[in-house]
Amino acid sequence: MVNKNNRETGKQPWSYREGTIVSVAILLFGFGLQASGGGMVLRVAAFPWNLIAGLIFLALLISAFVLWQKHPAMKWLGSVKAALPAILSFTFLVLLMGFVKQDVEPKSPLSKLFGITHLVKTWPFILINLYLMILLGVVTLKRLTPFSLKNAGFFLNHFGLFLVLFSTALGSSDMQRLRMNCYEDQTEWRAVDATGKTIELPVAIKLLNFNIDEFRPKLTIIDNQSGQIVLDKGNNQFELLDRNSLDLLEYHVEVEQFLETSGKVGDAYFPVNEPGSAPSAKVKVTKDGTEISGWVYSGSYVNQPEALKLNETHSLVMMPAEPRKFSSELNIQTKSGKQVTTTIEVNKPFQIDGWTIYQLGYNTEMGRWSNLSVLELVRDPWLPLVYFGIFLMMAGAGFLFIYGKPKNGGTEHVA
Amino acid sequence: MWLDFPIYASIAIVCWLAASGLFLSSGKKILNQLAAGFSFAGTAFLLVFIAILWLHIQRPPMRTLGETRLWYAIFLSGIGLATYLRWKYKWIVSYSLGLSIVFLMINLQHPETYDKTLMPALQSPWFIPHVIVYIFAYALLGASSLIALRNLFFAPTEKTVNGPIQMADNLVYLGFSFLTFGLLFGALWAKEAWGHYWTWDPKETWAFITWMFYLVYIHYRFRHPSGHKRAMTILAVSFAILLICWFGVNYLPSAQNSVHVYTE
Repeated sequence: MVNKNNRETGKQPWSYREGTIVSVAILLFGFGLQASGGGMVLRVAAFPWNLIAGLIFLALLISAFVLWQKHPAMKWLGSVKAALPAILSFTFLVLLMGFVKQDVEPKSPLSKLFGITHLVKTWPFILINLYLMILLGVVTLKRLTPFSLKNAGFFLNHFGLFLVLFSTALGSSDMQRLRMNCYEDQTEWRAVDATGKTIELPVAIKLLNFNIDEFRPKLTIIDNQSGQIVLDKGNNQFELLDRNSLDLLEYHVEVEQFLETSGKVGDAYFPVNEPGSAPSAKVKVTKDGTEISGWVYSGSYVNQPEALKLNETHSLVMMPAEPRKFSSELNIQTKSGKQVTTTIEVNKPFQIDGWTIYQLGYNTEMGRWSNLSVLELVRDPWLPLVYFGIFLMMAGAGFLFIYGKPKNGGTEHVA
Repeated sequence: MWLDFPIYASIAIVCWLAASGLFLSSGKKILNQLAAGFSFAGTAFLLVFIAILWLHIQRPPMRTLGETRLWYAIFLSGIGLATYLRWKYKWIVSYSLGLSIVFLMINLQHPETYDKTLMPALQSPWFIPHVIVYIFAYALLGASSLIALRNLFFAPTEKTVNGPIQMADNLVYLGFSFLTFGLLFGALWAKEAWGHYWTWDPKETWAFITWMFYLVYIHYRFRHPSGHKRAMTILAVSFAILLICWFGVNYLPSAQNSVHVYTE
């Protein structure tokens, strides 16, 4: 094969053509390996093998660079001509992931064979990642020798990404994400992983109290015949019960009384505070001079909801309250002898002995009366390295903002 | 406390309208400086309001949609001004001030929306920076794509190469920096909220694809500063990908159960 410049394929200096050949070969080889393995799910080896492999990789990369720095192939590895096809191949894989739903049972034998439904854990993905890391590593080393401040932005962007890829790939198998069901006043130290395997932890957790802070419920109008919410374009279909008067469709609603937790006695609702009690409101609804008043009740796992019939076609109903925030008061004991009492909530996890404890869920059917709090426990020893990479990339993005498109043929700042 | 809001909002809107008007109408340096001053004054007034509000309600005013819009208005106008001060793109300030005014107007029109429901996972200090930098990245990249589309149909001349095409190039760098921030803020937030910084959620996947396409553009451009035609094509395609990420993801079969697909 001869190209426009009459350069034979494979003959130095290499260009996009070789870049494409190498990238496509890696993809094909990867899919071939995947298929020959019968579509198995891959995992990187766990500690300490991943650390050893990582160190060997770094040592090989650096010594190869030092030995063959002047070799045309090494120059090519650090060039856009190798990088662009590699980025495109990786993009191709991610595009596949964008169109094919991931982490589900494969629908066809072919997609099972090539691992299309769990691409992250397949050979082509891992090999392209490795190839990208090599390219990023070489180009970082290339710009570091000799070091110049002009290359700071370039270094931050490329080395930051290198670190993120490196640490996420190697750390993936050391990361543990477990789910723990905690019931009030019970101590729990067992959790299950994604595959359903029970794991005993060096941390024991006692749920002292589970708390939900709820928004006031919403009101809406339903059709008596179908039971469906009446659709009305342009107007709010729901009104939050946070005021004493509101308008829904053509109805005007006055809230005379609102009870956060209530139960029915006779024809009316009264404040009670026992499991299963739910919000209710006494309302007065007016439309064209006619007036109806009565109670609406949002219902719970114990009690039926109650609607207020407005006329032949419409009824007013109260929706179940939505959580504003939910939190768990925990007593945590570790094997190392620590004991703490703390409260966690969504977006506010707690860290102890390398574990991070997240508030994940609760028994939604029971809502505010849930005695179950679902926690997620995560251990990710490689996280500091990932974060370091992320912060380098952020600094690099800052450089991009300040300096914009590089001048002088891109030898300065970002390139 | 919100009772005083119309006063502060009106002052901010007047300041910003004045700033936009001055930016768009003149090329004189002194008037531009005055415009920047007005733009800053509007933002400062809102900052004072939010400080008083914060003290008054004794919690960070970051919980309700109304409060969120207030922050949008402040951040957008702030970032717009910063971008102007660095790059002198006047339309950027006008654009961001326009958006900020829209947010304030919504708040003025719907005083009752100050206290609407917001799911717990979204109640995070990361919410606002994450969304704001994305809004900004999309704005910058959108502008660059408009230029790209126009220049797809005309042969590059010396005038367009030194003018709009160069500007499109530069906007991609700025947009890409915001895109990177948005992506990374999202990762840090996800760690706090869901226990992992990257789960290949469909929206994440598409955001990453978008990021990769602009990465392709930047690398192509670096190596081929004069390959305008192909560069503009890449840019136009990248924006199509960005639109899929922004709106299209909701309709993809792969995106069922995504945390980013919000329903009304």
